Amino acid sequence: MRVFSGQRAWLLQRVSVLLVLVLLAVGGLRLLFWPAPSYEDWRSFASSAHGAVLIVLFFGAVALHAWVGARDVVLDYLQHRAVRFAVLLLVATMLVAVTLRVLFVLGGQIA
Amino acid sequence: MKLRIYRFDPDTDSRPRMQDFDVQPGPTDRMLLDLLMRVRQVDDSVSFRRSCREGVCGSDAMNINGRNGLACIQPLASLKEPVVLRPLPGFPVVRDLIVDMTQFFKQYHSIKPYLVNNDPAPERERLQTPEDREELNGLYECILCACCSTSCPSYWWNSDRYLGPAILLQAYRWLADSRDEMTGERLDQLFITTSREGLNADEDPLAGSLFRASPGVVGLPVREFAG
Amino acid sequence: MTRQRDTAPKFLNLFEIRFPVGAIASIGHRISGVLLILALPLAAQALERSLHSEAEFRALLAMRASPWASIATAVVAWAIAHHLLAGIRHLLMDLGVGHRLAAARASAWFVNVAALAVAIAILAAGLWSGGAR
Repeated sequence: MRVFSGQRAWLLQRVSVLLVLVLLAVGGLRLLFWPAPSYEDWRSFASSAHGAVLIVLFFGAVALHAWVGARDVVLDYLQHRAVRFAVLLLVATMLVAVTLRVLFVLGGQIA
Repeated sequence: MKLRIYRFDPDTDSRPRMQDFDVQPGPTDRMLLDLLMRVRQVDDSVSFRRSCREGVCGSDAMNINGRNGLACIQPLASLKEPVVLRPLPGFPVVRDLIVDMTQFFKQYHSIKPYLVNNDPAPERERLQTPEDREELNGLYECILCACCSTSCPSYWWNSDRYLGPAILLQAYRWLADSRDEMTGERLDQLFITTSREGLNADEDPLAGSLFRASPGVVGLPVREFAG
Repeated sequence: MTRQRDTAPKFLNLFEIRFPVGAIASIGHRISGVLLILALPLAAQALERSLHSEAEFRALLAMRASPWASIATAVVAWAIAHHLLAGIRHLLMDLGVGHRLAAARASAWFVNVAALAVAIAILAAGLWSGGAR
């Protein structure tokens, strides 16, 4: 696969969503079969190493998945090269910023 | 029966319009095409393509009450009135219900819809097992009426790059034919023409293809894509 | 014929075209996807707030009383439900499950209806709890 091939994008979209589904399932099971988390439960989960990693993984996988989806929509509806570039740059920046924010928020919790 | 028909005369109209008709079906009229012929008795400027009148040529494909179909096999009894007739969506209108199918047939030609087998011709026919022949069922029957492709939003927005369901089906019809020996090349060409990432042959294959997807794609063999 | 190709009209009035149930599922998948991308920064913000103080944690979990918040929550819930269900439908079809016409139509119906049901349920819950206050 070339670096930016459509095949790689398709695979990334599927792999990232599998990770999201697994994490959603884990979270969903926790909420269904255990008592609702208190604020302290939630904080200690987010402050723990494994909890923080799971949350970051979730947002990271969603960001990657969102990237492929956004690219699909842009390629379908926007033909002009400069417009495509601008919109994709905007989306990429937002996704990176969101992921970084989540990292910092959780980093702050553990510290 | 009441009809509402899309009218456009390129010589006199600046914009299309809808025209109402109320026509009595004849005693033996069963299909929409029969009724359309009666409309022409009232106003013979109403234009549409038609030929076989039995659903095998695909000429009279049109948008009937919002759905694409063939006028000659659309039973009158199935139609809510007023019967709204429009041309196939997304294609340039030549006149009334007649559309320009050039792009569609260009795409058909691009998939090389013929058998390629350079083995010496056998005395009678090139043999094929019944199992191999079954692989073509559901594929060879397509009459290229374009009803499917012209109801596909992806085809509406990107018909310069996307082949559409009808042509993709035919591409597969030739891939699936056991007598054909060009399968590898067909796949290579399809990968290039169906991917969004088409490249010009002289452009750097390692560079990002994001900005290069463009109409009339010519590209590199799939092995370099996959490498 | 081709002299007027560039100016020739095309019939593309989306309100006059009948769309199959799969098309509704498909455009819903796309619209919900775009909505979720737009909601992503808000999700990050919600994460931050939920950890900041107990009061904020509780506020986020409870449906806020304003009808607008209930509507917004219901829309996001629809987006998550539809995108999730339509996405799973896609994945199953990738594996060859339910790709034939009858099954595909049935699963598309299910996705469309179930996602709406989730949205309506969440809207009702939000408005009801808001009204009770």
